[in-house]
Amino acid sequence: MVVAAEGNTGTAKWIRGRSAHLRGALLGLVLERPSHGGELANRMAMRLGETWRVDSNDVYRLLQNLMDEGLVEVREEPRRDKRPGTRIVYHPTEMTSAALTRWIETLLPRETFRLGLHAKLAVAREQDVPGLRSALAQHRRECLELAQMMCPGDGEPGSWGALFMDCTRDGIHQMLQTELDWVNRTLRRIEEYAATAA
Amino acid sequence: MASVGSSRGKAQAPLLSFASVGKRRREGERESTVLEDVSFELRPGSALGIYGQRRSGKSTLLRLAVGLELAQEGSVLFEGRALAGMSSGERARLLRGPIAFLSGDGWLPSPGETVMDHVAMSAGSAGLSLREARRRALAALDRAGVAGVSAEEMTVSLAPDTRARVMLARALVREPLMLAVDEPAPLPALLERERYCALLREVARERSIALLMASEELSALQGIASLASLSAGELCSTQVQGTVVEFPRRRAAAIEAP
Repeated sequence: MVVAAEGNTGTAKWIRGRSAHLRGALLGLVLERPSHGGELANRMAMRLGETWRVDSNDVYRLLQNLMDEGLVEVREEPRRDKRPGTRIVYHPTEMTSAALTRWIETLLPRETFRLGLHAKLAVAREQDVPGLRSALAQHRRECLELAQMMCPGDGEPGSWGALFMDCTRDGIHQMLQTELDWVNRTLRRIEEYAATAA
Repeated sequence: MASVGSSRGKAQAPLLSFASVGKRRREGERESTVLEDVSFELRPGSALGIYGQRRSGKSTLLRLAVGLELAQEGSVLFEGRALAGMSSGERARLLRGPIAFLSGDGWLPSPGETVMDHVAMSAGSAGLSLREARRRALAALDRAGVAGVSAEEMTVSLAPDTRARVMLARALVREPLMLAVDEPAPLPALLERERYCALLREVARERSIALLMASEELSALQGIASLASLSAGELCSTQVQGTVVEFPRRRAAAIEAP
């Protein structure tokens, strides 16, 4: 997955793979509460869980990137523990909220497995429900389209030649099915939440 | 609306169409929604696969499609006629003629009945001579891949794979326009299951039978040109334009509220 960083920095910066998801999640965390870098890294690790293996170096690098784009700004603030010196606290700018909304409702090039959606859910605000629904529905559609494209093999069923292809197809179907079930359940959860909250 | 079928030449009238179909069921004190605002079209000779987990509404959708149950909301049309407007006798005739329905619990063998009796009886009810019925039954059994030897076997003692194929033969012998299959693959062996699913697709294709197949396994629906997913009574299909799939109307009000 490749994301062209938005903003007016002139040169396009390209962020690939997992970093694009972490970058989006950072926007959400900074909006929730301005924090210093270490705290943001901790909150990110707590929120996304062990599987993401969030590295604080990545977080600092992405914060720098967001700063260049004008999506976060830094302020020096006195330390809370009354020790001398100041610390750098990251704050949202007036562009941050819109950037978060855009990230949540946008699915970039096709992935069979949408790890990015997990990151989106982790930092979404209630106002992001329409964007989340749209992103989830788009992913569901893509899963169905991918399943439609999977053609049964030409080989004689049960032959050695067909075995490998059968196993691979089976794996992909299983993965798509898991994704579909997860998307459907997630949409239902959001819907049930909205129904009880109303 | 999802529309499934070939787009060659001028638009063909749909064989089966669902328009905003809703179905509710009473469960004790509570009434639960089984299907909500389901719309799709199935054109003659085309195929639609519906993936959904248990209790997602698949079986209900199929039973509505074949006229075993009627919808409370919206309309189900077969060859342009509303199933709700037909008498139960007319709907029963559809199920003995243009509509064939295969479901796991549709197997009711009688003691002492051979496979041949079982299949030929189905053809016989269409008013054919016994001889012609037997000839057609043999041809259908042959196409369904049931070897000649098994034709004289007793229906009560068939292996699952043979039983599934005999059910298919019984459906084919009536030369249906639509084949509705609820869970095509309750077979334990993977290879048997794949071969059976492939057979369903091939037979439907070569005889231009429209295929409506639901399964809780996505892999059982492979090779079907168009897929949809059903979850909590809501149908989502790849044919729907745009990326935003709206929640059904009644639920939408709750979502929009701040």
